[in-house]
Amino acid sequence: MTQHERTQVIDSSEETRLLTEVWRSPPGFFGWFTHVNQTSIGKRFIITGFVFFILGGLLAALMRIQLSAPENNFLPPDLYNQIFTMHGITMMFLFAVPIMEGFAIYIVPLMLGTRDMSFPRLNAFGYYVYLIAGVAMYLALFLNMAPAVGWFAYPPLADAKYSPGMGVDFYATVVTFMEISALVAAVELIATIFKQRAPGMSLNRMPLFVWAVLVMSFMIVFAMPPLMVGSVMLALDRTVGTHFFVPGTGDPLLWQHLFWFFGHPEVYIILIPALGMISDIITTFTQRPVFGYTALVLSLVAIGFVGFGLWVHHMYTTGMPHLASNFFTAASSMVAIPSGVQIFCWLATLWGTRPRFATPLLYVLGFFFIFVIGGLSGVMVASVPFDTQVHDTYFLVAHFHYVLIGGGVFPLFGGLYYWYPKLTGRLMSETLGKVSFWLTFIGFNLTFFPMHYLGLQGMPRRVYTYFEPLGWGDINLFVSLSAGVLALGFLSSFINIFWSLKRGEPAGDNPWHADSLEWGCPSPPPAYNFRHIPVVIDRHPLWEYQEGQDIPVVTGIRSDRRELLVTSLLDAHPQYRSVMPGPSVWPLLLAVAVGIGFGGFMFHNIFPVVGFVLSFIALAGWFWPRELTKEAREEPS
Amino acid sequence: MNTFSAIDASKLPSYAFSHCVPIWWGIIGLIVVEATVFASLVISFFYLQTNFPTWPPDGTQPPELLKPTLATLVLLASAIPMYWADSSIKEGKTFPLKVGPLISIALALVFLIMKAIEYRDIGFRWDTHAYGSVVWAIAGFHSAHVLALILKTAVVTTLAWQNYFNSKRRIGVTVNGLYWYFVVVVWIPLYMTIYWASHLLQS
Amino acid sequence: MTSAWPAMNLHRLRPVSLALSGALLTACAGRQSALDPQGPVAERITLFFWIMVSVAGVILALVLILLLAGQFRGWRQRQHRPLTYIQSRNLVIAAGLVMPVVVLLAFSLSSAATDRVLAKPLPADVLTIEVIGRQWWWEVHYLDSRQNRIATTANEIHIPVGRPVRLLLKAADVIHSFWVPNLNGKTDLIPGKTNTSWVQADRPGTFRGQCGEFCGLQHARMAFLVEAQPVAEFQTWLDRQKQPAAMPVDPALARGQEVFLSSQCIMCHSVRGTRAQGRVAPDLTHFGSRQTLAAASMPNSRGHLAGWILNPQGIKPGNFMPPTQLAPDDLSALLDYLHSLR
Repeated sequence: MTQHERTQVIDSSEETRLLTEVWRSPPGFFGWFTHVNQTSIGKRFIITGFVFFILGGLLAALMRIQLSAPENNFLPPDLYNQIFTMHGITMMFLFAVPIMEGFAIYIVPLMLGTRDMSFPRLNAFGYYVYLIAGVAMYLALFLNMAPAVGWFAYPPLADAKYSPGMGVDFYATVVTFMEISALVAAVELIATIFKQRAPGMSLNRMPLFVWAVLVMSFMIVFAMPPLMVGSVMLALDRTVGTHFFVPGTGDPLLWQHLFWFFGHPEVYIILIPALGMISDIITTFTQRPVFGYTALVLSLVAIGFVGFGLWVHHMYTTGMPHLASNFFTAASSMVAIPSGVQIFCWLATLWGTRPRFATPLLYVLGFFFIFVIGGLSGVMVASVPFDTQVHDTYFLVAHFHYVLIGGGVFPLFGGLYYWYPKLTGRLMSETLGKVSFWLTFIGFNLTFFPMHYLGLQGMPRRVYTYFEPLGWGDINLFVSLSAGVLALGFLSSFINIFWSLKRGEPAGDNPWHADSLEWGCPSPPPAYNFRHIPVVIDRHPLWEYQEGQDIPVVTGIRSDRRELLVTSLLDAHPQYRSVMPGPSVWPLLLAVAVGIGFGGFMFHNIFPVVGFVLSFIALAGWFWPRELTKEAREEPS
Repeated sequence: MNTFSAIDASKLPSYAFSHCVPIWWGIIGLIVVEATVFASLVISFFYLQTNFPTWPPDGTQPPELLKPTLATLVLLASAIPMYWADSSIKEGKTFPLKVGPLISIALALVFLIMKAIEYRDIGFRWDTHAYGSVVWAIAGFHSAHVLALILKTAVVTTLAWQNYFNSKRRIGVTVNGLYWYFVVVVWIPLYMTIYWASHLLQS
Repeated sequence: MTSAWPAMNLHRLRPVSLALSGALLTACAGRQSALDPQGPVAERITLFFWIMVSVAGVILALVLILLLAGQFRGWRQRQHRPLTYIQSRNLVIAAGLVMPVVVLLAFSLSSAATDRVLAKPLPADVLTIEVIGRQWWWEVHYLDSRQNRIATTANEIHIPVGRPVRLLLKAADVIHSFWVPNLNGKTDLIPGKTNTSWVQADRPGTFRGQCGEFCGLQHARMAFLVEAQPVAEFQTWLDRQKQPAAMPVDPALARGQEVFLSSQCIMCHSVRGTRAQGRVAPDLTHFGSRQTLAAASMPNSRGHLAGWILNPQGIKPGNFMPPTQLAPDDLSALLDYLHSLR
């Protein structure tokens, strides 16, 4: 395309006003419940996720106080058991997965250069389901009736006979809810990534974070349904007397298979988006394309596949045939290969560069140290004989915190510092950021590294106390004190979030001189995200748009209604203009209806029927076409 | 920085068909999720079986074959009017869309009634043993889908009677049809599991 | 002997008594540690662990050195000196692909080799012990060659030194896991199933074990002792355990037996040779010979036993033993009787 063919685009203020008006979310308290814009919903997921992270952290602090001395009486056993169960449920279900989805929902459409997700109302529905689940779970805790069976709730302990209260009913309901929320987010992320990329952004030009989110979403689609079956079976066993997991007439191990077929991929569902964040952060802070784009994509996909073949390594001690177990040792260790490829791709990228050591990159470098340790101890526990010694001990506690905090939370905080300016328009304080990184990094290692040793010294996990002569007291005290340092590290980041909201340095559109499209719109993005949908000609669009040169964009998308461009699956050729639904209260009503159906089940069998009927009404209201009343019979142009 | 128009989208249509449309992928996603759910149930059926010397357990007769097979044929037949409606609207013919789904709904209702009668007399309950639990779970879960399908199609049919759909605006019909075919097709492995596997494993 | 043990005082004594109990357990038991193997299985696992740790340490060091060296290069040159494509590709293939494949192949094979020790088939005539996990204690039966129960005890397993012992692991309520870190890794006890494992101690000693799978309220206090004895000593012990309890001849002990048999104790406990035939709590036939109480929560001393009988819920909240009200004299007689069951 030569210069003289180009038509300059004049941004008329009238059109900008129209766009703002059309994409605006209704203000006010009641308006809040009708928001559907992806930036709005994504932010809610992120904020709610962090709230649950803080709550889960407080629970961890209580546990550390209890364990700081042998024979401590700070918490009674029942409460301690509720607390560690809630800590697990919170961190796995209410924090890690939703917050990764939150970042995906907020960032991915911006990275793709589109104006919203494919199904904005479904997006809102997913959030309300999540919110209801989380609030219900914590209500149970405050009523002292939280589950006390561990986050994987093995029957028969979780059966009505051995856990008679309502705790496990809450558990089964909340787990089902979180699965619905995650599945909804996954399906629409897939649809959005497939169909709403900016023209020219063929699959092989997608940022690696988008690839990671795509893999995560596919994993959710296949991992969550088996657990949904499991949690519904558990609820049925408890309420209507089915025999799925009853010893003798059913099989308690069926639950373990269903749970871990979900539970192992769950770890990668948390890890994979974090890996995507790392690739993008390294690209930005080294100011060069990450080495081995194709290798990194293939590694993500490989992890996604292999992740489904490992669940049995959580069950080595159940008396499985040894040959089968050894097969899973080999399968499990295979995950280290794509992980190794990624680590060395990043090392190759970093080598010899003079990167900008801003806080996001520091968190990524912290990841290298912690995640490699977690990965190596992970290979160790994949070995059947060694696993029988450390299974369900503090060695394992140490291992999975290294993987989940090192592999998930460190990149997440890197991502937080990285994208915060996009969300708020202001940079987070670098000084406080660096303080928080070092406190978190040092506190983390001092807290969790000694736990390896505790586990080898025979300390099982999930014990509310231990005897003094076992010799675990000093290390536990040390761990508890270190946990304080770790908490200070997280706290300083949270202070930073609030402090920077008002006083942070204004960021501008692209404070890091990054390459991907989310930095091509204002910070924070307007309700319509992009004034013009950009056209992508390269894997690094913002680096390609040279200073002073004109940027190619799409014109002709209507501004007087919510319209965006749908493109083809592989090459992102423009296909049609899609009209998007606007604000609506139906998603909230549907979430409430579903809540009545599932949540009421633990009280009476009639509620699922009521919930079914209410859900149908809400769905009909949701999908009833507006055109039928408004632009009735208007011929599509 | 200035921008220039590289693509003029005003010439593009504001509608599209089948896999061009995100909602098509949404429904495919839903179908994959549901298929995984059904697969998990079927796998549970066979996993539980390994715990028992006989399956169905002693004292339980496997369900009879005739009525369920007839019901299955009815359900399969219900996809035909749906397909008729679905393909006719592509050519802009709206009449089949007004009538076809009604026939499908009627057939699906017949299926549900046959199921209800069958399970009233099936001879074991969900709380009898694990076999009962898993058979009732599979059948109940699928019947709930058929019910949801009927309600959903009722909405689509109402819209059809209001002349909402035409040859261009018909993605709603497409995805409803997809989901109908799925619920019908997924019944075949479930039917094989509950009825044929129960008989074959018994002998 | 007849002095009362007011429950009140015991409450106040608890922290001290537990600390004492600790001292006692240390005195007789080694560290409950996977790094201090006392038998062939644990030894192999520990060896394998140290090899893995060494290799893992080298890999970690390699990654960190590459990370730092790469940075040093850039900073020393004061300019970008990135790797070329070929260099990067070679690095990724060598360190990211070839190295893991080689290391993991070696790892998987040596893991399987180590596992063969665990899965080793035992001769048919080895001593077989049936262990049943219960909330929150361990029921232990010694079996003869035809799998008949010949002796029953609880929370304390005696084994002959130098001989492999087969374990049949079952559960009566929820899932538990049998774990003696010094001797072997865990195997779960799953209701409705029977798992097998084996242990062997190479020298005499007391090894503490603990439930390895969360099993409810008192999972933390579901421990047990494994007492490895020289073969002859073990045989003597087992012969005694096979016997029913002797009828007390001493009138004081007879009085204690009377207290026992007329109390609610016999609803759950059994003493073979008497009409106490309860099956849901530990068999007390040779209770006096055991070292600990309440699943290795306390030493089996007179004071602890008194406290346990009067106020079990204060010591191990939520366990299924109800408190017993006894007159001081009765209590004293009961303690004498129970400790006479040796």
